[in-house]
Amino acid sequence: MFGFLLQRAWQACIVVVAMSVLVFCGVHAVGNPVDVLISPDATQDIRASVIAQYGFDQPLWRQYLGFVGRLIHSDFGRSFVYNMPVSELILSRLPATLELTLAAVLFASLVGVPIGMYAGYRPHSFVSRAIMALSILGFSVPTFWFGLMLIMIFAVQCGCMPAGGRGETVSLFGTEFSFLTADGLSHLVLPALNLALFKFSLMIRLARAGTRELMLSDTVKFARAAGISEFTILRRHVLRLISIPLVTVFGLEFGSTLAFAVVTETIFSWPGLGKLIIDSITSLDRPVMVAYLMLIALLFTLINLVVDLTYALLDPRLRKGRA
Amino acid sequence: MTAPPFSETRSALLDVSNLKTWFPGDRGEVRAVDGVSFSVSPGEVLGIVGESGSGKSVTGFSIIGLIDEPGRIVEGAIKLEGRELIGLPQEELRKIRGRIISMVFQDPMAALNPVLSIGTQIRLALEAHERIGPKEVRERAIAALAQVRISEPERKIDFFPHQFSGGMRQRVAIAIALLHRPKLVICDEPTTALDVSIQAEILSEMKALVSDLGTALIWISHDLATVASIADRVAVMRSGHVVESGPALAVLTRPQHDYTKTLLNALPSRASPGELLLRSAGVPDAAPPARKEVPDDVVALGSPYLVINNVVKTFAKPAGLFARLQFGLAGAKPPSASNAVDGVDIVLNRGEVLGVVGESGSGKSTLGRMAAGIIAPTSGSVRLAGQPVMSSGTMPRKVTTRIQTIFQDPFASLNGRMRIGEILSEGPLAHRLISRGEAPNYVRQWLAAVGLDPGYANRFPHQFSGGQRQRIAIARALAMQPDVVVCDEPVASLDVSIQAQIINLLIRLRSELDLSLIFISHDLSVVRHLCDRVVIMRRGRIVEQGAAEAIYARPQNEYTKRLLAAMPMLPRSVAGLEPATGPL
Repeated sequence: MFGFLLQRAWQACIVVVAMSVLVFCGVHAVGNPVDVLISPDATQDIRASVIAQYGFDQPLWRQYLGFVGRLIHSDFGRSFVYNMPVSELILSRLPATLELTLAAVLFASLVGVPIGMYAGYRPHSFVSRAIMALSILGFSVPTFWFGLMLIMIFAVQCGCMPAGGRGETVSLFGTEFSFLTADGLSHLVLPALNLALFKFSLMIRLARAGTRELMLSDTVKFARAAGISEFTILRRHVLRLISIPLVTVFGLEFGSTLAFAVVTETIFSWPGLGKLIIDSITSLDRPVMVAYLMLIALLFTLINLVVDLTYALLDPRLRKGRA
Repeated sequence: MTAPPFSETRSALLDVSNLKTWFPGDRGEVRAVDGVSFSVSPGEVLGIVGESGSGKSVTGFSIIGLIDEPGRIVEGAIKLEGRELIGLPQEELRKIRGRIISMVFQDPMAALNPVLSIGTQIRLALEAHERIGPKEVRERAIAALAQVRISEPERKIDFFPHQFSGGMRQRVAIAIALLHRPKLVICDEPTTALDVSIQAEILSEMKALVSDLGTALIWISHDLATVASIADRVAVMRSGHVVESGPALAVLTRPQHDYTKTLLNALPSRASPGELLLRSAGVPDAAPPARKEVPDDVVALGSPYLVINNVVKTFAKPAGLFARLQFGLAGAKPPSASNAVDGVDIVLNRGEVLGVVGESGSGKSTLGRMAAGIIAPTSGSVRLAGQPVMSSGTMPRKVTTRIQTIFQDPFASLNGRMRIGEILSEGPLAHRLISRGEAPNYVRQWLAAVGLDPGYANRFPHQFSGGQRQRIAIARALAMQPDVVVCDEPVASLDVSIQAQIINLLIRLRSELDLSLIFISHDLSVVRHLCDRVVIMRRGRIVEQGAAEAIYARPQNEYTKRLLAAMPMLPRSVAGLEPATGPL
């Protein structure tokens, strides 16, 4: 197991280094921040001094080396726009996004999987057909439309839910969280539901396909032949067997939701990372873009590592080879 | 064991009468079981024999109440100790399953849950019918494993299925089936997926267990010989009907029904070696097309042709980048490389059929692949008439066509998206054995030669049965006009009657085309029937080789002796069998 962890850490390093090069070059190919940073009527001297100050006169590779050098001292640079250290800026926004994403993904899995398993267990019943039809809808309805509808119905018409913002927060380990107060929780529900919709449908369909296939397998037949009840078969045999593809998708979806919660965050004015990255792209705030993309790459490799470790936990056949 | 009188039904444990289980299909109902009646007395072993599609498994699943949707029992009665099972509510049936009737399946790897430990699976089965504490569960589970002769049950109870061998897995499944001391156990092909020697062990242990516990057994199998060695009574099934039933010895030695006779006559173990099976009087198949050119280095019949010299094949475990760096830096050899074939010398004479026999994992298939030049040996050489068959990973174009392979699974080895005509002509066209214009006629000739309608050239593989597909696979191999054909378990997945036809075809084509064959099989009776010389392999090495008659009559090696002893044999009738008339 130790060797496996070491190997994965090594792979993660390579991914992060490759990512830093790609991101750095890519971001520098987009626009010229000088035009945004300096007012058009500034003098030529001021222009030159600002360019020199940010190092834009250097060749790209030298800028990259400078960036890496600062990185080693855990300095991601300063935001052009907010004029504060990027690491501070991102860390102040990360908990909000993490909270929202986790709520969405957990809801999608904890509710979606049992529903999907039911639909796979009774594939021909009316309820299952209705579930499947609705899950198609869940795939095809655009997130922004669904979000606007949620606001229209629950915030505007009924007035029972807040339309946006994080609400009251509680400080825990030095960061602010919404889910611990009633007000914060009510602010969390709608955006989490909106963000969960696609994943919810995905989990239902995955759980249904897996369950449907397994119900015809010899494993289930043998368990039935031993007189084990249907509920125990579903809970102990089927759930364990379908959990491997589910965990894979859970990991991937968790990562991508974390990175691309933008639409939902914008609609519900959730002060998360998504809004920050959109703002920094429009204002060509390069240090924020680079740091954000690197953070996402790191989170992805981390999530994948956890998923891999979970595989070994779920499937004993994988344990031996990696021990 | 003495068989109880056949007409006895009053004290029957299970009484099945006029059972009909149908499956709705595209073209009306499929009558999988169509009016089957039999009874099983307490402690009795009933064998149900039949080929695939005969309805024998569906009969078993009907009894235990596990017919898959949309199948249903449309008529009949299944009485367990006088109580009707058909129409019972699901919960009542569940209480019977595992406690009074239980079942063992063909493939224990598929039946056991791969992600739950053996102990957990036994616990779930125990808790299905009893309320017991964790301590007693463990004790009972250990006792159950000990009962089916699993060594160190205290330790093995925490194992997962993949940590057991195939035979051990089946023992675990049997242990689960016997947990609640059921009155009836239904075994659906329980030894088919196992090696001969394991099969023999399981058979004798099962026999002892059921007589100790007084459990009745329904033993469903396509293999007449295993049924003969365990069953008191036998029912022979064909397309949903029982065509013949009675005491096992009587049915297997003095069969009354033509179908039973045909089944028995199809067995190679009942014919003299080399003889055509079934002795059917049908029209002989057409002769295959003539060879375009005979290579000038072909040796005379009976002289050494394909020479395998000290071949070794090592399958190294794939190592990741980091592991490779690690070993590269340390200068050490990667661990746990296993030799699938470990120094084998074989000389195949021209025109000879050489049998390669071994249990799973013996390296026989790997050897076959190296002989055919599909994979390169790690060391050693394979030469055909002096030319290397494969060196440094590439095959010389000339030799390629001269060695062909027929694989075990005719469903996997034919490309489902190609028409039969394309499948047969692809190779010969690529090697310019025929021209485009000649191709359609060439394909028709080959189809006729393997006993298929020449008009089938435009069909796709899925339109054929398993036996027909294997004929196509044979035609594909032979259309390349090879001298040597490597047959890797070509009849292992086929029913006995189809197996007999394929064996006949190989016997005929071999003499018509002067072929040399390497025939890889785990089935000792088929090998005896077909082969001139036999090589016995174990763990990548040859343990014994020699003329087929000599090895079967006077085996020298201990392992060979064990293999031959484990071979299930049919009781031979005194008078012998009269041949069945007419084809199937």
